[in-house]
Amino acid sequence: MSWIHDDRGSALVLTLVIAPLLLVALAGVLQLGALRVASARVRAAADLATLVAVNDQDDAELARSGTLRLAADAADVAREFFARELALSAPLLDRAADDIAAGADVVAYPSAPAYDARTGARYDRPTVRIAADVPVRTPIFGALVLRPVTILHVLAVSSPR
Amino acid sequence: MATLETTFAITMLVPLLFSILEFGSALERWLAQDAATVQAARYAGELGGDAPELRVFLAEQLRVAGIDPERVSVDIVPSRVGWREPVRVSLSSAYPVTIPFLFSTTVPLRSSAISRGEVNR
Repeated sequence: MSWIHDDRGSALVLTLVIAPLLLVALAGVLQLGALRVASARVRAAADLATLVAVNDQDDAELARSGTLRLAADAADVAREFFARELALSAPLLDRAADDIAAGADVVAYPSAPAYDARTGARYDRPTVRIAADVPVRTPIFGALVLRPVTILHVLAVSSPR
Repeated sequence: MATLETTFAITMLVPLLFSILEFGSALERWLAQDAATVQAARYAGELGGDAPELRVFLAEQLRVAGIDPERVSVDIVPSRVGWREPVRVSLSSAYPVTIPFLFSTTVPLRSSAISRGEVNR
């Protein structure tokens, strides 16, 4: 039983055990990092889309009554720009940007106060809201026996000031 | 034997540890660049396209994020936009990654955002 007390080669064994664990950690860091980037981009896409939609005011109404009122096509503009922004991150997405934007719940509340049926929120100004589920590719998670596609839930609300 | 083992352990573990640090750092920089791009796109919509104020703003945003603006190429298309016209801001930079015993390379980091002209000229 002298081999039990012989520690020659133990560092080699330890390295061979730790190396795969570190490889998995590296893969996880890369995938989580990519997912964070994707999440930030999707959130920014929805935020920008709602901002673009509410920044376009009904000028005639503003001149007539001094009231901020959304343009009639605010919801369409929000959806169009959501698709445009998502298209810039197409390699990260599991579906076409147009499909994701088409399936998004985009609502414009042209006058205030208004109540959001989805979130229960009360809006005291004209508002555009986007709620969407965005599927993002996570192939390394897939290789690690997790989900190869991760769904990001995004909610963006903008009102003019 | 111990020297051999140590050499083997170092050549295996050091590249892995450096990879985690280097790629983590690259992703952090990518996030910072993305955030600056989004802000720049909003400002471009407000200004009606490319303008010296936008370049100054963008350089400041990048500097705050720890990115040297001189090493980032900026593309604003089209350079002037009218009301309701889309304007796209794209940033591109190269992040150097060095993994001991393995390789040195540069990772291209690209960010883009689209806004819309808010100025009725």
